[in-house]
Amino acid sequence: MNSTQSASAAPSAGDVVSGSFSPVVQAAGLSPAAARTSRLFDLLVVIAVVLLFTGAIHLHTMLLAGDWDMFIDWKDRQYWPLVMPVVMIMFPGALQAVFWNYFRLPIGATVGAVCLMLAVSITRPMQFMLWTDYPLNLVLPAQMIAGALVLDVMLLIFRNALFTAIFGGFAFAFLFYPSNYIILAPYYVPAAHQGMMASMADLIGYVYPRSATPEYIRIIERGTLRTFGDSASWVSALFSGFICMFMHYGWWKLGMLMSSATFLPNNRKVMAMMGVKADQKTAG
Amino acid sequence: MTNMLRGALRRIALLPLACLALLASLDVLAHGERAQEPYLRTRTVQFYDVQFDRAKIAVNEEFTITGRFRLMQDWPDAVSLPETVYMSAYSPGPVITRVESYVNGVPARQSFADFQLGRDYEFRLVLKGRVPGSHHIHPMLSVKGSGPLVGPGVWIEVTGARADFRHEVKTMTGETIDNLEDYGVSRALGWYGVWIALAAFWLAFWLVRPLLIPRWIALNKGREDLLVTRRDLMVGIALGITVIGLTLGGYAYARKSYPYVVPLQAGTSKVDPLPAQTSTVQVKVLDATYDVPGRAMRIKAKITNTGSEPLQVLEFTTANLRFINRQAPGADKAVLAGSPTDTIARGGLVLSDASPIGPGETREIALEASDVLWELERLVSFLTDVDSKFGGLLFTVTPTGERQHTEIGGPILPTFTQL
Repeated sequence: MNSTQSASAAPSAGDVVSGSFSPVVQAAGLSPAAARTSRLFDLLVVIAVVLLFTGAIHLHTMLLAGDWDMFIDWKDRQYWPLVMPVVMIMFPGALQAVFWNYFRLPIGATVGAVCLMLAVSITRPMQFMLWTDYPLNLVLPAQMIAGALVLDVMLLIFRNALFTAIFGGFAFAFLFYPSNYIILAPYYVPAAHQGMMASMADLIGYVYPRSATPEYIRIIERGTLRTFGDSASWVSALFSGFICMFMHYGWWKLGMLMSSATFLPNNRKVMAMMGVKADQKTAG
Repeated sequence: MTNMLRGALRRIALLPLACLALLASLDVLAHGERAQEPYLRTRTVQFYDVQFDRAKIAVNEEFTITGRFRLMQDWPDAVSLPETVYMSAYSPGPVITRVESYVNGVPARQSFADFQLGRDYEFRLVLKGRVPGSHHIHPMLSVKGSGPLVGPGVWIEVTGARADFRHEVKTMTGETIDNLEDYGVSRALGWYGVWIALAAFWLAFWLVRPLLIPRWIALNKGREDLLVTRRDLMVGIALGITVIGLTLGGYAYARKSYPYVVPLQAGTSKVDPLPAQTSTVQVKVLDATYDVPGRAMRIKAKITNTGSEPLQVLEFTTANLRFINRQAPGADKAVLAGSPTDTIARGGLVLSDASPIGPGETREIALEASDVLWELERLVSFLTDVDSKFGGLLFTVTPTGERQHTEIGGPILPTFTQL
């Protein structure tokens, strides 16, 4: 498409141009001035979304996953790959619903993942390094960007909430462990300490005292899943994937519910509640 | 009026300065050890013979805390039993680091199970200076379900530069890590960067186009074909394949790079208590009062010497407060080198009859432990406790220097007027 093309010509799906000459803008029937204004509106919404969801997702993750995401010596093979994806898929699921349903944007999960990464990129250095002097490797966060990208791609492929939940939700959880293991593998290297074996993560947790966090509060591979031996993490990842299918679908529905506008009927009772007298003329 | 306004503004202007002054003084504050309920401190863990081998160290220099503690038989109902415990040092953050820790010679990196009430344990904590400053450091026993129970502390001065701190570790795979706190950080940041770059590409791919209003209107006009094109689908699939390939390939590479890995190590250790001492002292508390205005605990006790040597009361200790009978033999050596001195009562322990108790003799003695420390350490809320009892250890000593300790305790009555 070029600038001399008539604005009234029907745009086709192959035309992908940014700005006022975009076929989407043409199809929407926006004038160049309106298109520019809509771009400003986009910018304001993006800023608001980033600020709001950076805080909300971080709060949500800290409340529900807490120490599992906070400390390196909590990231075990059993609970960490199970708890974290289940907690982390909630906001991405809801955001996907909103972005897809109203704008056909398959970016909701990635927005959620990036917002969380932005939040931890601010809080971990500020809280732990600058404020309390802990080393960064004690508080390395998990990332869910890999799973979120695949979740968004699944939505783009299937264009359907149910199939996205089944395949995307599962992939989101299943990819969590390997995509984070790449980062955390060095921390599972063994070292001898006081005649006992410790992973480097255990050692980091031991060397830097957290006075109010005694060792026993860690929840490390408790239960019978250890009978699977070395495969505990994959069994956890599979189970987490199963749970995430339901979590995604539920939070998709919640996202739809929370983003739908409802209006109260303008009847006499409502008018009375608003202080409008029955004989007063009102618009609408 | 104008002057008043100016004064008010001046005060408001000084507020940030006051806040800054408070922040600047934070490193010399303690960390809330006096805030614990008195019954927690008087009737759970009694630390004794606590010693710090050094009071001033440089960054990277080690110091050791040694000592013993008794788990009181009269353990409060409100506190979980010490079925799972963790021995550590209490510090304002990682201003010091842990090098080694032991309980009765058993490594204490992990928690312990099933400590026994009425028995004694010995600990040794080896710590290292990390952040320069003056830091209040305590030994601490954490009890699952109850929280930290803090022993007596001292101010440790750490000198030098924070940047000089090093904690070298040698892995079991033969790798030497120069400084534990930098280990793996650059690798982690690099991989975060890779994932963020992919996410940034995906977001930019969609966000550079007309976004919300045009897309919403177009969608409502039924032009979904314009919003998600075949090219978008192809790019999305390519991205998905890239992400999955990078994840699985990266995982395989990590497995190859680190072939020997172990899971996080957890679980509890078990350790026997110290051998029970052969007791030749029996103490029965007849009554106990706390004189609120006089800041004095008065205990009337019947003490029986079942041994073959005469003995004298040496010390009463509770909640890290120490009341020493200056007339007892060896009283001058009761405070070991490097022991915390902040909580030693200046007035000591006053007895109604300080003469030695002969072998086989039973004597009724009134003990008075009087000091402002009861107030300073915030131990006087016997009045507000649901279980108004006291507890502590009574040390006795023979002329040959043999020392014994006996657990004492019972109900305590507050008195509100000067007697």
